Amino acid sequence: MAPGPDWEQAGAAGLGALPADETRAVLDATALAPAEAVAFATGAVLGATRAGLRLELLHPAPEAVAPLWHDAWAVAQGVALARGLVAAPGNVLTPKEFGHRLKALERHGIAVQLLGRKRLRQAGFGGLLAVGQGSANPPRLAVLRWAGRIAAPPVVFVAKGITFDTGGLSLKPAAGMEQMRADMAGAAACAGAMLALALRDSPAPAAAVLALAENAIGAAAYRPGDVVTTLSGRTVEIIDTDAEGRLVLADALNYAVRAFRPEAVVDLATLTGAAITALGHHRAALFGNDAPLGATLCAAGEAVGERLWPLPIGAAHREDLRSGIADLRQCAAGPGQPDACHAAAFLREFLGDTPPAWAHVDMAGQAGNPPGLPEGPSGFGVRLLERLVALRFEDAHRR
Amino acid sequence: MTDILFVKAALPRAGALVLPLAEGFTLSGLAQEADAACGGAVSRGLEAAGFKGRKGQSCTLWAPGGHLSRIVAVGLGPKPDAESAQQAGGAALPLIASEPEAVIAAEGLNAALTAALAFGARLRGYRFDKYRTREKPEDKPKLLRLSLASAEPAEAKAAFQPLSALADGVFLSRDLVSEPPNILHPEEMAERCKVLEKLGVTVEILGPKELRKLGFGALLGVAMGSAREPRMVVMQWRGAAQDAQPVAFIGKGVTFDTGGISIKPAGGMEDMKYDMAGAGTVIGLMGALAGRKAKVNAVGLVGLVENMPSGTAQRPGDVVRSYSGQTIEVINTDAEGRLVLADVLWYARERFRPRFMVDLATLTGAIIVALGHEHAGMFANDDTLAQQLSAAGAATGEAVWRMPLGEAYDKLIKSDIADMKNVGGRPGGSISAAQFLQRFIDTREGHVPWAHLDIAGTAWATKDSALTPKGATAFGVRLLDRLVADHYEG
Repeated sequence: MAPGPDWEQAGAAGLGALPADETRAVLDATALAPAEAVAFATGAVLGATRAGLRLELLHPAPEAVAPLWHDAWAVAQGVALARGLVAAPGNVLTPKEFGHRLKALERHGIAVQLLGRKRLRQAGFGGLLAVGQGSANPPRLAVLRWAGRIAAPPVVFVAKGITFDTGGLSLKPAAGMEQMRADMAGAAACAGAMLALALRDSPAPAAAVLALAENAIGAAAYRPGDVVTTLSGRTVEIIDTDAEGRLVLADALNYAVRAFRPEAVVDLATLTGAAITALGHHRAALFGNDAPLGATLCAAGEAVGERLWPLPIGAAHREDLRSGIADLRQCAAGPGQPDACHAAAFLREFLGDTPPAWAHVDMAGQAGNPPGLPEGPSGFGVRLLERLVALRFEDAHRR
Repeated sequence: MTDILFVKAALPRAGALVLPLAEGFTLSGLAQEADAACGGAVSRGLEAAGFKGRKGQSCTLWAPGGHLSRIVAVGLGPKPDAESAQQAGGAALPLIASEPEAVIAAEGLNAALTAALAFGARLRGYRFDKYRTREKPEDKPKLLRLSLASAEPAEAKAAFQPLSALADGVFLSRDLVSEPPNILHPEEMAERCKVLEKLGVTVEILGPKELRKLGFGALLGVAMGSAREPRMVVMQWRGAAQDAQPVAFIGKGVTFDTGGISIKPAGGMEDMKYDMAGAGTVIGLMGALAGRKAKVNAVGLVGLVENMPSGTAQRPGDVVRSYSGQTIEVINTDAEGRLVLADVLWYARERFRPRFMVDLATLTGAIIVALGHEHAGMFANDDTLAQQLSAAGAATGEAVWRMPLGEAYDKLIKSDIADMKNVGGRPGGSISAAQFLQRFIDTREGHVPWAHLDIAGTAWATKDSALTPKGATAFGVRLLDRLVADHYEG
């Protein structure tokens, strides 16, 4: 067995076998190498579905395990944060409340800036505002900064944080709509990754730009046929109000590129059903414009068991987004569309005139645990991003 | 039908003249002569039209002078290569199709690029019009003779020969895929494979009696509902040493797919005539390989059925025993392609022990949702074969995109009653289909390099492109011919 996902599965399985009322457990890792022991314990901690369980890890060389465990613990804290956010119901976790909870990260050394409706209007966040305008809970943009110690532009995570997605006027069917409280799982994952980096005191500068809104149906809601001017200045023809994620991301990506001039941008979003049709629940879809960044993300995903698979952005996908009235349409009309590819082609338009290395992860199928595991939020993305930073952005002398 | 000739460079006295021009061109050779004969109208016209020689760019100058009726300039891009020459030839064809005669001024290009121009024009000139009985003559293409003016016509002609055989294969495939389903049923499709015998291909046709005897339970289950009998056709081309291990191509040939008892919605069902495009490609490919006398042993196998709902049709819930012995629970009778392929794949593997197997099938709608229409989905159990296919796809413009396989996806087709079920649900639908097929490839007895191409999104085009008029694309014929040519000949 490799020290990564296999030992974690063992740890999770071990914990799953405990009686429900158990309050204390000992993990016997005496026969394992330190990295394996940590993976074993990580699996147990992440596999725990209840609070108040005390775990002890037995190992002959605790001094070798402890520093490894400190980093693993930091990541587990990030995953727990993300899961907690995803689990919160839509009436509790409004964009405003999401902002409050992010503010609490300041005690870990993360600078948190929140932009409300007035500021967003002044700055011209037309995409984010359009999506949020149907809701009684106004949208927010959250900007998180971790300074790190390396003097370099930060890696920036951008995410969709739709606290509840009714679909808007292009209303979703009732069956399964309750799951749409998880439509902010991308934003939750980025917040979790920032916490993990801070707790393990990563030297890499990082930032997160999270677009928080509720896509509600209402008298002031945006409509199919509307034309929206985004932060980038590009105009977008709305085809389907349920393709709202790409609108809020368009503004957040554009803001991220302009505000940070980053070395790399990675966005995470529960974006399209098409990604689930394409890859199911076992791999998220990866798009981008930079092969090395994509390869590192894939490697990070394999290492932590949050697997990705690359999908293309073809010339025809961009062509399909031509609009008769605006600079581009938000999606192509009709069923059976390669909508994950269309969404990626759409997002690529908002990276500015000199696009940074960019990767887009469509994790629509990963917000919850895959079939076969206990139901609940997975925290997908936290470990992926944390590992990406570890693999690529923590060497001060890179390049 | 247009005759394609290779001739010495000389300015034509009438008809159309085509000028393939690269970016940054200066008129030379025939182009310069034409310009002089037209009093400078060519250079002025191209300038006025903003023609720069970019790839895909074209420009028509009407009655430019002399006795020419038109001059057509087509762009070769920054640096002419086989691909851009094919595209330019394809782009030129519709612009000259209403002329009885045309000359392409290729005297500045080498023999290979000249042949590529001719190949592109030939592919683009395809037309399936046998059922248009009242078409006005002026609406029909008139081009009888297309001459390529060349500095080395004999070499260009020689270079064109294998490409012409390849085009014949493409056209055979497009004809089959274009035919309506009342005409092209399994029996008829099998009969048409016999045209390959003229090229030296051995053609064996197996009917229901033979298939029953072999135990093709999965294929026969699909065919049960139709009044048309199923067929399997085995085509063999022996272009290499007698004992050389063959390469194998397997195609899904559902001549019409209603979905069966799990019937499809009415809207768009007419498209289901092309649910035999995988088989169409395999047949065309065998024609191409034999036509150009490829130095390879190749076998092509196609499973031909019609999927109909009726009193005798297979039901959701049925369990069938495949030729491999593995049992399959049929959950959805519209996931029939994999049932047909299961038996044919196993048969191909058992009988021929091939070097590799590539199957093609219009298998899932999910692959269109995943990738759209620019790439076919490729699933492979072998990285080398996958890389070779990707490279061949890039070279021919028949692009493939690799999709994942894995244990987690295989679990999706676990059945409570049989060895597997025939659908794994919408999430990852193309992948679970590929996992199903893989169960008829990889066994305890060993590994066969295998790739599965899901061509549901690429077999039919709703608009014209440079080498393909809208309709049947014959996707895969050029790709797989290239795969063989680059890696498996000699």
